Amino acid sequence: MSTHRIAGKGRFDHGGPVRFTFDGKRYEGRRGDTIASALLAHGVHLMGRSFKYHRPRGPVCAGTEEPNALVETSRGKGRFEPNTRATAQELREGLEVRSQNRIGSLAFDLQAVNDLVHPLFSAGFYYKTFMWPRSFWDRVYEPVIRRAAGLGRAPDAPDPDRYAHRNLHTELLVIGAGPAGLAAALAAARAGAEVTLVDEHAEMGGALLSDPDVVIDGKPAWDWLAAALAELDRLGVRRLTRTTAIGYYHQNFVGLCQKLTDHLDEPPEGAPRERMWHVRAVRVILAQGALEKPLVFDGNDRPGVMLAGAAQTYLNRYGVLVGDTPAIVTSHDSAYHAAFDLADAGAKVAAIVDVRAAPGEGVLVEARRRGIEVLTSHTVTGTNGRLRVKSLRVAPVSGGRVGAARTIACDCVLMCGGWTPSLHLFSHTKGTLKWDEALDAFLPDRSAEECHIAGAGRGLWGYGAALADGAEIGVTAARALGLDAEAAAPVVERDRTGTGETFKELPTDGDAGRKRAFVDFQNDVTAKDIRLAVKEGMRSIEHVKRYTTNGMATDQGKMSNVNGLMIASDAVGKAPPQVGLTTFRPPYTPTTFGAFAGYHRGRHFEVTRRTPIDPWAEAHGAAFEPVSLWRRAWYFPKAGEDMDAAVARECAATRGSVGIFDASTLGKIEVQGPDAVEFMNRMYTNPWTKLGIGRARYGLLLGEDGYIRDDGVIGRLGEDLFHVTTTTGGAARVLNMMEDYIQTEWPDLKVWLTSTTEQWATVALNGPNARRVLEPLVEGQDLSAEAFPHMSVAECTVAGFPARLFRISFTGELGFEINVPARHGLALWEALMKEGERYDICPYGTETMHVLRAEKGFIIVGQDTDGTVTPDDAGLSWAIGKKKADFVGMRSLRRPDLVAEGRKQLVGLMTEDGDVKLDEGAQVVADPEQALPMKMIGHVTSSYYSAALGRHFAMALVEGGRDLEGRDVFVPTPEGIRRATVTTTAFYDPAGERLKV
Amino acid sequence: MTMHDTRMPDATVTIEDLAPDARFSLRVGADGRAAASETLGLDLPVRVGDVARGAEERTALCLGPDEWLITAPAEAGGAIARAFADLYDRTPHSLVDVSDREVTVRVTGPEALTLMTIGCPRDLARLAPGRAVRTVFDGATVILWRDAEDTFRMDVWRSFAPFVRDLLEIGRAEIAAGL
Amino acid sequence: MLLIHCPYCDETLPEAEFAYAGEAHVDRPADPMALSDDEWAAFLFIRSNPKGVHAERWRHVHGCARFFNAERDTVTDAFVSTYRAGEPRPGTKCSAGAPAGDDMKVAAE
Repeated sequence: MSTHRIAGKGRFDHGGPVRFTFDGKRYEGRRGDTIASALLAHGVHLMGRSFKYHRPRGPVCAGTEEPNALVETSRGKGRFEPNTRATAQELREGLEVRSQNRIGSLAFDLQAVNDLVHPLFSAGFYYKTFMWPRSFWDRVYEPVIRRAAGLGRAPDAPDPDRYAHRNLHTELLVIGAGPAGLAAALAAARAGAEVTLVDEHAEMGGALLSDPDVVIDGKPAWDWLAAALAELDRLGVRRLTRTTAIGYYHQNFVGLCQKLTDHLDEPPEGAPRERMWHVRAVRVILAQGALEKPLVFDGNDRPGVMLAGAAQTYLNRYGVLVGDTPAIVTSHDSAYHAAFDLADAGAKVAAIVDVRAAPGEGVLVEARRRGIEVLTSHTVTGTNGRLRVKSLRVAPVSGGRVGAARTIACDCVLMCGGWTPSLHLFSHTKGTLKWDEALDAFLPDRSAEECHIAGAGRGLWGYGAALADGAEIGVTAARALGLDAEAAAPVVERDRTGTGETFKELPTDGDAGRKRAFVDFQNDVTAKDIRLAVKEGMRSIEHVKRYTTNGMATDQGKMSNVNGLMIASDAVGKAPPQVGLTTFRPPYTPTTFGAFAGYHRGRHFEVTRRTPIDPWAEAHGAAFEPVSLWRRAWYFPKAGEDMDAAVARECAATRGSVGIFDASTLGKIEVQGPDAVEFMNRMYTNPWTKLGIGRARYGLLLGEDGYIRDDGVIGRLGEDLFHVTTTTGGAARVLNMMEDYIQTEWPDLKVWLTSTTEQWATVALNGPNARRVLEPLVEGQDLSAEAFPHMSVAECTVAGFPARLFRISFTGELGFEINVPARHGLALWEALMKEGERYDICPYGTETMHVLRAEKGFIIVGQDTDGTVTPDDAGLSWAIGKKKADFVGMRSLRRPDLVAEGRKQLVGLMTEDGDVKLDEGAQVVADPEQALPMKMIGHVTSSYYSAALGRHFAMALVEGGRDLEGRDVFVPTPEGIRRATVTTTAFYDPAGERLKV
Repeated sequence: MTMHDTRMPDATVTIEDLAPDARFSLRVGADGRAAASETLGLDLPVRVGDVARGAEERTALCLGPDEWLITAPAEAGGAIARAFADLYDRTPHSLVDVSDREVTVRVTGPEALTLMTIGCPRDLARLAPGRAVRTVFDGATVILWRDAEDTFRMDVWRSFAPFVRDLLEIGRAEIAAGL
Repeated sequence: MLLIHCPYCDETLPEAEFAYAGEAHVDRPADPMALSDDEWAAFLFIRSNPKGVHAERWRHVHGCARFFNAERDTVTDAFVSTYRAGEPRPGTKCSAGAPAGDDMKVAAE
């Protein structure tokens, strides 16, 4: 079956097979295989179709930078993922893999017609095409483009997996466990540093996993690796595999995404699929190595064309020979080692085509020894083969002229255009890069963080250099942590050093305009596209990138950026650093939404605050509504009732007898101290000095800008003690604002604030029978109108619990609010319900509360105000202490724009037809006959049906509203224009007779 | 006293809801600290995060430059409130009963620290046993006590407690899964 | 996510415990009613918004609950200093009796 598995090669358990399917066909792989390595073992290179042209594609690399081999995977019910990188996803038993971005089969994709008409899709085609006729857009272009756009299908079921989160503080974070990272971690850990070492692969070792022949400290590479990992474990280094550092933020804050279960046949119960680590490190070492670059030539994207280093990895790590007759095309010595490894494993190397004139002498000797033909100063002018490369056309280049071509038969092409230091994370931190002329690469320059870069990431090539540098940097980091450390660089034999050159697209014969030399495989960007972009006026690499989409795919141009830059700089006629490098942004590799969301999904999406009485409401069928973070009982429907019916019944019951309401969410602040009254005078618009102990007052709070911020009833419990209430949503904000003034503006005031919102459960009783219900339960306070008039407060006992009792009313009825310690809230509620039985006590929710207050014209801050409403606008001028010298916002009330004519004022609106309900938010106009767009003079803020009035009514903010009283305005609605009369907001019992009991 | 116990035979971390203590928020300026200390019967600590322990299981945690959390056995609350009421005229301060504001959950076991890291961004390894801080856990303000190397206690505002408790249970299951 | 040193707790702690609170050293006038409309509007609405070191307020809201001041570079986001409310801005020379104009010069490191 596995036609290309080489006995004795590879790092994995050669035991039982792992079964999986690809496009419905069954395959077997080995434990530790990736999808790509397992398919390649069966000689399958064709794994996907390209994004734009639907060209057949196979894997180019063996890591997470893969642009081509993107597949759909299914790990069981609901566990579907598009765009999985076949080169990174490990096999697990029963994994279902499907190719994507095709109509028809993978081998015969109907959309491949795009490839035949490729001139239509040149750079910037979407700026030029689909422009006309206009009428085609909605019905033709957009549906077709939508169908064709994007890669893969979105999952259509909720993700059943869990995602986890942890915070980690560590002294030293080493990112990348290749030779440099391992040496750094070892050096620092030996010095006593607390080290965390992470690597995105299933195994640590990096390039060592692909180069077993190297000898380190006298040991074969893999033996040295095993000993190094064992030592790290002994030293207590925290090692995380399958863990990608996705982003590097301020002050050494690094995001790690760890894959925990995707590779497991049967994940343990309760185990999360992935975990996002928020790491804070004192020092960071970036040892991410370098990424191999493709060469840019016609047909460099055919299945079977891949990076030389990838072929070496497939052979040595996975025991897979990617082809029997490989041809090598290179501009770097490293590809020779790949050729040698494949040749030694039994492949017949067709030829090594070197773009350079003078490869390293050492590799030429080795090639000769193996009888491999080396063609120096040669170029590739094309490849052949539809679903798999079959041959290569090569030609000598001399003095810039391409000579006669010959064809070389092969079944795979291994290319290497040199190596790009992987500096994405470094760039996230705004670390600067500088162009290195000798290496033709960007290297790290100035660091913005406490971080170090080791090994190939800073352009060092070869195992000896990487290990020595890693050890040195590890010591540097340990010393920076205040530790004594000595570097001990391992001795490396049979090292694989070498040099290379960086090229733009390879020279070719014939019409360059007809060549399909790909730079960005995932976005199907060719060298020609980049040259066209420059020709059409793009000069900066940022413009070229956006015009061509080069480097904008999910791989963020890990392979294409430098090749694109070399071509663009050639076309512009400037050196690469002057054309620039595009910005790398997090995440380093595509990351699941689940990993970012972590625990915050489903029932744990957001805090839901519940009152002590919430369980009763739930048990009694309440409908709930969210109010800031709280869920509050909205209304209590009886069987067969809809919301309107329930609310009308609750309103009538409260006005007719007695209603009970859970007001526990109201913000409460204890204000205490010798300067409490002075503080209250300064914060609130109202005067407080003469408020007697045991009395309460409505308080209005402004911002310094003069606009209403909050309101609530405030009781004076002692000379120096106030019980302040705030709106539900405003509680935290108001406390913050008060603390701000006390701490920073008036530190001389001796007054302290304590939030008691959750100390107290609060139950409101309203209605003509409220006193009768309450009285039998109260000890220590006479509730008669004389002893306890409206706007009173007392400390007493209610239902046996210590209580703060207010006589106040937000409904216009006789009302009480009883505060008891929260643990007793439910018991208090139940006692009142029992006592109220004979008065048909009616529990009501926030909707009825809103209706009853609106009938009295009481505002809700945030509903009838919007942050631009002054006390006068809201008709609350009476709440301003006329003799006060100062309070927060007072000066602003004289600002010219706040005293100007024509401000929006809160008024009542009565529709001509009482059955018509205006929508909250509906706009108000003066003249419905005016031309569009009409001048809007205000909007509806509150609108309800009133059981007491027997009709609908509304409140609105209307320009110069109070002067319009008795006049008609108009409210355009989708159902037609409604006429309404402007009224006062005192809709019900305007004289307040019902409170005088 | 343990009210609700989710102890599992092989659990490496245990989560328990604790019965309420008497808890007060004490606010007093530097000029009144000595008098308040005397009233309480212990020296109010001045470094944020320090806890002082006095007779009758009274503790005072310094939460801010002029703010302490006083705890005592539930039945001792009345005496503390009365003592401070008597102090007020001589030494103005604010003592507010917050016994019902928060509920307390305790996390113990070898993996207790790991469990706390799923919601708390602080470096808890640096929170020494015996100290306590106000901090944030999964977005909720909490007072986090480290009673011992492997024992944490969190005071959570009552309405946030189910949410915090929920995350602790998710985390416990995750730790039990071993990944 | 930043690390912020709280000058009251004397600890360097995660940003998640803190809340931003606007520009620092914008004092509320002692007698607002004595100000002209323009002066009052300037107090309410005009802020410096520098590119570079900015004096700003933070509150250790999930901690000691104190408001304090900080100097932070708006280009790099790096904190230069944090100090208690009411203390002068570090690097200003008001205490040394320098001319008032020097108040705006800050020793940025």
